[in-house]
Amino acid sequence: MSSGPTPPQGSQKPQVQALNCTKCGAAITLRALGQAVSVVCESCHSILDAKDPKLQILQTFERITSAERPLIPLGTRGRIRGTDYEVIGFERRTIEVDDIPYHWNEYVLFNPYKGFRYLTEYNGHWNDVAICKELPMVDPRFSIPLEANYLGEVYKHFQTADANTDFVLGEFPWEVRVGEQARLTDYVHPPRVLSREKMSKEVTWSIGEYVYGKDVWSAFRLPGDPPPATGVYENEPSPFSANIMAVWLAFAALTIGLLAMMIGFDLPSSSEPVFRSTYQLNRVAANGEPSFVTDTFQLEGRTSNVEVTTSASVQNDWIYLNYALINQDSGEAWDFGREVSFYSGHDSDGSWSEGSRRDTVVVPSVPAGRYYLRIEPEADPRHSNIAYSVEVRRNVPVMAFYGIGFLALLLPAVLITWRSVSFERSRWSESDHPPSPIINTESDE
Amino acid sequence: MTQPIATCPNCGAKIIFKWSSSVQTVCEYCKSVLVRSDVDLKKVGQVADLPPDISPIQLNAEGNYRNKAFVVIGRILYQYDQGGWNEWHLMMNDGTSGWLSDAQEEYAISFAATGSTTGQKLPTESQVQIGQTYSWNGANYTVSVITQAHFRGVEGELPFQYWDKDDVAFADLRSSSRKFATLDYSDIEPVLYLGELVEFDDLKLKNLRQFEGWS
Amino acid sequence: MFRKIYLIYGMLVLGTVGVAQYRGWSMDSMNQVKNVPKSVRDNPGSYRSVYSSYHHYTGGK
Repeated sequence: MSSGPTPPQGSQKPQVQALNCTKCGAAITLRALGQAVSVVCESCHSILDAKDPKLQILQTFERITSAERPLIPLGTRGRIRGTDYEVIGFERRTIEVDDIPYHWNEYVLFNPYKGFRYLTEYNGHWNDVAICKELPMVDPRFSIPLEANYLGEVYKHFQTADANTDFVLGEFPWEVRVGEQARLTDYVHPPRVLSREKMSKEVTWSIGEYVYGKDVWSAFRLPGDPPPATGVYENEPSPFSANIMAVWLAFAALTIGLLAMMIGFDLPSSSEPVFRSTYQLNRVAANGEPSFVTDTFQLEGRTSNVEVTTSASVQNDWIYLNYALINQDSGEAWDFGREVSFYSGHDSDGSWSEGSRRDTVVVPSVPAGRYYLRIEPEADPRHSNIAYSVEVRRNVPVMAFYGIGFLALLLPAVLITWRSVSFERSRWSESDHPPSPIINTESDE
Repeated sequence: MTQPIATCPNCGAKIIFKWSSSVQTVCEYCKSVLVRSDVDLKKVGQVADLPPDISPIQLNAEGNYRNKAFVVIGRILYQYDQGGWNEWHLMMNDGTSGWLSDAQEEYAISFAATGSTTGQKLPTESQVQIGQTYSWNGANYTVSVITQAHFRGVEGELPFQYWDKDDVAFADLRSSSRKFATLDYSDIEPVLYLGELVEFDDLKLKNLRQFEGWS
Repeated sequence: MFRKIYLIYGMLVLGTVGVAQYRGWSMDSMNQVKNVPKSVRDNPGSYRSVYSSYHHYTGGK
């Protein structure tokens, strides 16, 4: 399809224009190729009408409003979402919460094909912002709804405040004024934030996505480091939250595994002792030697543990047994001493008791083989007629390990949950809906 | 493909209509506004100097909307408090007429609503208010902005006669999806256009204006 | 990311508990002695225990 003959006047290619400030005569650069509505003189900070070829003055000041320089210099180009944008404007705004002022910066970005975008920065936290194409849905019954629905996601009300424009530089696609006020309401769904801005009667919704300073710096190829991010920002993505549920599910699965192991090891192990005998304490050999050896017994199976239980019906008395579990063939032995003592009585608080008539010890990693016990008993010399019994069992489950294992599984899950909760509390502490203190401190209200 | 060819009654230049249903066009040489009747072309006005072109879209740009290719064949220019805004007239490849609205590179495609879609009566200029809701074709729209626009000029082919306007009001309506509507109060009877807001990339535009320093 | 690290850690915990039960580990303190001569069976007194000469009780009250 032919496009017809070219018209006699070729359309001009829009270029960056250089003009002079109507107030002070300083040179003014217009980067937005005729799209800007207002432009600020870099020298005297007068706001001029960018649509007027004569650059009519819209607002002027007695002295320059601030010496602040934007962190991303005007004219810098950066790649955002696959498109190059140029920084053409800078604005500093302030809100007051509980009489404390908070400032943040906004950068106006321009691309001649795709139009305008914005970058906001507060305490080192950055957001990539664009005007919404779709209208968010809110409950019209409330003057400040607590929720907003946008593109199928629910955003929670974070803060409503009046913002004042303190300081401007560069070009803007609206008629900007220092001192202009807007009512801002933020709704968050990390990493996104929905902002409702009401200036006089017009309402504009914009959608922002959290960006890390280092990504802004690499997008705009800026030297040095971005400002450090302090605190948790309203829509800062949590490094934890997505994982919490996953970690607890893993905990549940692992605990089931632990239980399965317990059942697996516990059930098959026999509870029959491989050796049992009863002795009298005053049993002394002919040569006066108190120690003696038991009959031998067989320990079967793989290398596992041996449980030795000592029982004595002591009453306000004690016995002490020096044990040695000796492998008859290899000469390997395990040496240990166990005490059985039990005391009880009555006093002004009632009856009391201390100790136990039974002691259990687990000998670790004993290979299979032929064994016997060498026992050397001791007791209070005044009561030497105590009867005691010794029982030996092979391969008993040690419940303590399951307990330790369970705690080892629990601890990291609790820790990460705590860190996530702290992060979210930190986030919401800055909002209109701060979390109630966990520890009750005295309040001045 | 044969195209209707005529001559400009003012300067005699050759006028080629890209679209058979065009009612009005502008002679590229003498800038006369010409209206077509069954018999001939009649001059109804003269376009004054248009403001410098800053839109990336220009006549003969091509693009694609929802799998329908289109060519930009005309435009209406307006001025409003945030600057210039163009309504580009599109010739869709199925022969229908569409509009690409371009205000500070915010783009929307819309089509004139046919009589059957507008079930209810459309509000007049004095009746329409920000915040009102309307329902067309099963979708809900809320009036978001009422713009007082100043007519600046025309270019290329248009599907109706549109000339010698002064201040024209438009009511823009948005929805919770990208659906978009405009009530055009150029004439006494409001005209409804229905469409959607689009991203620049969605339109796959070609043959655009080049900007120095930008690719 | 956390989940992966936690799962690996958890499997290690379970594995350790499994090894502990399988190999028969114990929480009790023990002294291991080597090369006990076979003559101890006939003469138990010749065995020197670390724990001998206890001669007192550790109970309270």
